[in-house]
Amino acid sequence: MARVSFPLPFSRAAFIAAVALCATTAAVLRPRAQLLRSPPGATQFDIPALPVEVSRPFSFGLRSLVADLMFIQAIQVLGGIKKFRTAADGASDDRALDRLLTYSTDLDPKFAGAYRFAGNAMPRHTLDEKVTNVLQAEAILKKGVRERPDDWRVPFELGFLQSYYLGRFDEAARNLALAAHAQGSPAYLGLLATRAAADAGDLDFADRMATVMAAEATEESTRAEWEQRLVDLRMERDLRGLEAAVARYQKRSGIKPPSLEALVKSGDLLRIPLEPHGGRYQLGPDGAPLSTGAARLRISGRRGTTAGLEVK
Amino acid sequence: MSEFFRALRIIAANTMRELIRNKLLYNLLFFAVLLISSSMFVAQLTIGQWDRIILDMGLAAIELSGTLIAVLIGVGLLAGEIERKTVFPTLAKSVPRSAFLLGRYAGLLSMLAINVLIMMVALAVVLRAADYSLSATVVQAAFLIFLELAVLAAAAMFFGSFTTPVLASAFSLALFLIGHLLGDLKLFRERSSSGLAKTLTGVIYQVLPDLELFNLKSQAANELLPPAGFTGTATLYGIAYAALLLLLAAGVFSRRDLK
Repeated sequence: MARVSFPLPFSRAAFIAAVALCATTAAVLRPRAQLLRSPPGATQFDIPALPVEVSRPFSFGLRSLVADLMFIQAIQVLGGIKKFRTAADGASDDRALDRLLTYSTDLDPKFAGAYRFAGNAMPRHTLDEKVTNVLQAEAILKKGVRERPDDWRVPFELGFLQSYYLGRFDEAARNLALAAHAQGSPAYLGLLATRAAADAGDLDFADRMATVMAAEATEESTRAEWEQRLVDLRMERDLRGLEAAVARYQKRSGIKPPSLEALVKSGDLLRIPLEPHGGRYQLGPDGAPLSTGAARLRISGRRGTTAGLEVK
Repeated sequence: MSEFFRALRIIAANTMRELIRNKLLYNLLFFAVLLISSSMFVAQLTIGQWDRIILDMGLAAIELSGTLIAVLIGVGLLAGEIERKTVFPTLAKSVPRSAFLLGRYAGLLSMLAINVLIMMVALAVVLRAADYSLSATVVQAAFLIFLELAVLAAAAMFFGSFTTPVLASAFSLALFLIGHLLGDLKLFRERSSSGLAKTLTGVIYQVLPDLELFNLKSQAANELLPPAGFTGTATLYGIAYAALLLLLAAGVFSRRDLK
């Protein structure tokens, strides 16, 4: 067998030594260079340097894929967020989430998954008892409601956020009603929408919705539920009328009325309405009217409601 | 006339046989299938939305690899043949030049259809593995990608009929990029106050193919149905545009001095 000569102009040993030297030098210098380089930004995930108006056309028909990339980055940001931090500590992550999800949904406005993720992931409860990123999530979800009214979960997320964090029950009721009308939505959403509307005092809207839902119900049990809700709303309307009469009485006489009958006697109330559940109306120990037949439709003030917390 | 179609059929069959032996085609196909398969692993990085990530990556892989096949191989089938002078023996046998060009195109188009089909099967398998299936919109999106490739292959033939392979490839790839920007060019035209800019962008918009009309990827990924009649209209537009390019290419190639 013929001996094959080494193809380089130096010996095999010199070659191996040179390879070993280069490899060792690279291995030693790499961590040193990493230490010396300028520190990375607060978060390693962020939107591209191009505004979305530029990247949309220059993704050459692949904007849906670029939107996915931003969405995946947002998930990595969420995964890296440490729990139990103050509002200031997590501000950079909050901003990154907002920027990535806004960018993603600007690139692909039909990206329902990104809207739902924004509603779920963006609001952050902090150690100093604040909730951050709610208004930003609301802005993204409002865009989602415009773009994807067919996906009930998007207006539902917005309605939840507006009622739970922001205490804006009138807007929440309208978004929950939108969700209730979308295909595939669960039956309880309509009831929740009317409850939010009743809480906000928008009884005409709640009445209209309950009447339509009762008329459209195909199952007897569902129709019965909606008819019951109409009765609840009639009670709510009565109680609000009674509250107004109490306020008038108190303003004029300076004291709380002793009973509902006193309101009728003073002319502040025409007559005591008939309680639609079969109970009766009376004044509570605090002087506020109540019904013995059913509890009022309320969504606020429950355990866990954070409407009173500071929202950024 | 029957002679013309006979020649066209033989050249198309021959082109397919040639392409089956083309290593570039297999390399591009391999990378596309690899990209489609890897989408399953990328999807693991998300919370939900697995099907969307797989679909977006899969359809992008089909479009990009198909574009490279249509352009790089399409250019080689005409401009490459002219440059290598291997076109002369065929044309010497009294084969009409237009039959040669259309036969080459038909062979390439058949190969593109087979490629898109193979990549769609790979996509369906990956989706199936993730417990999803192909929706009607995904199939329509893939079909429109195929039409986009048909237009690009016709463009490669057109450019290849009068220039060198390198320039024809560059022009065809530029057409792919510009074709996806035309919607924004239209917006620019509407917002521009300059008469000259309006006229110029108007002409460019009308002359160049609007490849965004073949883009249903976003609807497919979002599980949305395309508007009624969209796919049919886009299909007719694609066929008409590809036919126009081929007619122009046949006209130029028939009169070209190949010496």
